[in-house]
Amino acid sequence: MTTLNRTLWFGGSVGVAALLIAGWQLIASYSGIPPVFLPGPDRAWNALVTGFFDGELGALTWATVQRMLYGWLLASLAGIVVGALIGSSLRAREYIQPTLELVRPVPVSAFMPVVMAFLGLSGFMVTVVISIGAIWPVLLATIYGVSNVEPRLVEVSRSLRFGGFQRLWKFSLPNAQVDILAGMRLGLTVSLILAVIGEMLTSEYGLGFSILQAARSYQSDQLFAGVIVLGVIGLISNLALQAFEWRMLRWTRR
Amino acid sequence: MSGSKFLKGAILPVSLIVLWEVSMRVSGIQSDSLASPSQIAVAFWHALQDGTILRRTAETLRTSLGGLAIGGGLGLVVSIILGLIPAAARLAQFSIEILRPIPAVALIPVAIMTLGFGYSMGIALVAFATFWPVLIYGVSAITNIEPQLLDVGRVLRLSNLERITKIILPATLPRYFVAFRLAAAVALIVCVTVEIAANPLGIGFELMSASQSLHPDLMFAMLLWVGLVGWALNLSLLFVQRRLFSAAPATMVTAQ
Amino acid sequence: MTLQSIARTAPEQTPGSHASLIEFKHIQHAFGDRLILKDVSLTIHKSEFVCLIGPSGCGKTTLLRMIGGLLTPQSGEVTYAGHRVTEPESDVAFMFQDYSKALLPWRTASGNVSLALEAGRMPKAQRPARIRELLAKVGLGGHAEHYPAQLSGGMQQRLQIARCLAQDPAVLLMDEPFGALDAMTRQGLQDELLRLIQTAHTTALFVTHDLEEAIYLGDRVVALYPNPGRVAQVFKVDLPRPRNQLTTREHPEFLRLRREIFDFIREAEA
Repeated sequence: MTTLNRTLWFGGSVGVAALLIAGWQLIASYSGIPPVFLPGPDRAWNALVTGFFDGELGALTWATVQRMLYGWLLASLAGIVVGALIGSSLRAREYIQPTLELVRPVPVSAFMPVVMAFLGLSGFMVTVVISIGAIWPVLLATIYGVSNVEPRLVEVSRSLRFGGFQRLWKFSLPNAQVDILAGMRLGLTVSLILAVIGEMLTSEYGLGFSILQAARSYQSDQLFAGVIVLGVIGLISNLALQAFEWRMLRWTRR
Repeated sequence: MSGSKFLKGAILPVSLIVLWEVSMRVSGIQSDSLASPSQIAVAFWHALQDGTILRRTAETLRTSLGGLAIGGGLGLVVSIILGLIPAAARLAQFSIEILRPIPAVALIPVAIMTLGFGYSMGIALVAFATFWPVLIYGVSAITNIEPQLLDVGRVLRLSNLERITKIILPATLPRYFVAFRLAAAVALIVCVTVEIAANPLGIGFELMSASQSLHPDLMFAMLLWVGLVGWALNLSLLFVQRRLFSAAPATMVTAQ
Repeated sequence: MTLQSIARTAPEQTPGSHASLIEFKHIQHAFGDRLILKDVSLTIHKSEFVCLIGPSGCGKTTLLRMIGGLLTPQSGEVTYAGHRVTEPESDVAFMFQDYSKALLPWRTASGNVSLALEAGRMPKAQRPARIRELLAKVGLGGHAEHYPAQLSGGMQQRLQIARCLAQDPAVLLMDEPFGALDAMTRQGLQDELLRLIQTAHTTALFVTHDLEEAIYLGDRVVALYPNPGRVAQVFKVDLPRPRNQLTTREHPEFLRLRREIFDFIREAEA
């Protein structure tokens, strides 16, 4: 498809989205639903703008984003290191992987009440749960990527007489790039979700807490504004990571 | 051969459990947050006997499967439309891309405000969450149908509905099943998450209240149970998939 | 890196020839209950170009992997420069047939060549120059920053050659390196290979299915019987060097050898 065509279709799809928003406005303004339940896009936008410029929306956003990123980065690093160690040893995998497979089906959010029992209602608790949630996909992906090097490449590494650590650094870890990046993307999504829930449960300062508050006090426009911000965070973080992935994986493209 | 593999894999968890049990007994700790494996087993047994587990599981399953039916069903229908009409897919692209990243949990307060607590709220949120994977994988499945099969439909001058029911659905059934399997896992996760965060129903709620009421034995028992339910759900769906689609390749086309 | 070769007379060594470098002594090897090699003895001399041919199942790749240090014979021994081969030798380079799988896809062409230099512990500062030199030698000078996925099959194989040469090898082991390439590319690479080896006097052990390729490239052609693999006969190739795709292939000696070996294999298979 030519670039012009592509741009036109993109414009068209943006137009469709605009239509949907217009439809939302119509329903909000002219159906009988009170604005308490369904604020129109105009009110939501207002709340968004005032929230950022006059209110705390910016600080709340930053608090949530910080929490999410901090836990995610920590977890990704730990996941890569531990995953590399486990993945590079057949023995380690034999003994440890079955246990990992046992824990895998547990929904990550289920760990929140458990960790809460130990660490109480605190920001630290939320960060711990985020880390537990985010380390998981990265750990599993790293183990897989590190232990699934093309056998021919393993022979190349033997032929060139590379030792254990060198083989890990030059062969196994780069080989796991694709999987690790996919795992990190998943981990980021999980981090956002757990950050929001954590804030809802602990009333720690952040978007999760604020939208719950807004719901309780029937301030629907602020609620919608907060939800929109969360959607934007999800979108941007995903896009950013995708761009990073795209750059890192240049070598996969012809 | 696989016997020794099993043994090797079992060593770690078994020894951890034994260690846990022994250390708790020896130290005689009474904790509000930690319980020994034997206590957990006892709590589990009690919860099973007094019907708590059954009741809560039923609640969770009702919510998650109900939401899956709605969200997955809608996803199926919309994916067929978008898959068969490329123009529609292109026009819907932007809207999908901005709505999809909204985490289902962010909508919890919206659901609370509009639907209150209970089944409807949980089902609505699960529906939202399961809509997207079915939609995305579904569109991918349809756009990847062997073109010759579609030509057959045209040559036989099938009506639109016939085309859908006789060619498109059967051809994409394996991929849709995989999509639904994925969505089912999402359904359970989202359902339990919503129960933990807000909804006073189901396993998640039981887990949360056990934690808050300082009943670590019941809490861990629920944690164990939720994992078992997830595992059992996945396994049974996998089993069904293998039985139904063992002949046809069930390879997943990764979206994007 | 010069090699101290140990003078050792072997039965088929004619007086005045180079000293033996690699020796297979009564190699026997089985995979499971299938006997792959049975009592294989062979001597390769320094700077010799020896081709191993034979149908599938004659163990030629297995022999190669044994000198490459990737496989230990169940019985018998492989020696290199007088000592037993137990692990890959630093001056023995191995070229794999499936080149696309033998290159690091996440490194550029330079990066792949650098890999061998890193293995040889060359100081970082010296590497760029050597990499440039080697890439130019195999005709990939303009592709230094390209990834393997962006290179054609022939280019990828040339990259593998460059990486092997980066080891400054005394011995080059090649496992049907041109098998997956089209005829024209193959012929071009054959000549390039001969050119590259000639100046360094590298010893080469070349496994192939292609009878004509074996005669074209080699000083000796070792024909192996299959099931189990054993040395059937060794043919001496008395053709002038440098070889030429046109004239050498029309040389009466080339044709004679081709007929002789072809007949030999056909009888063997009967």
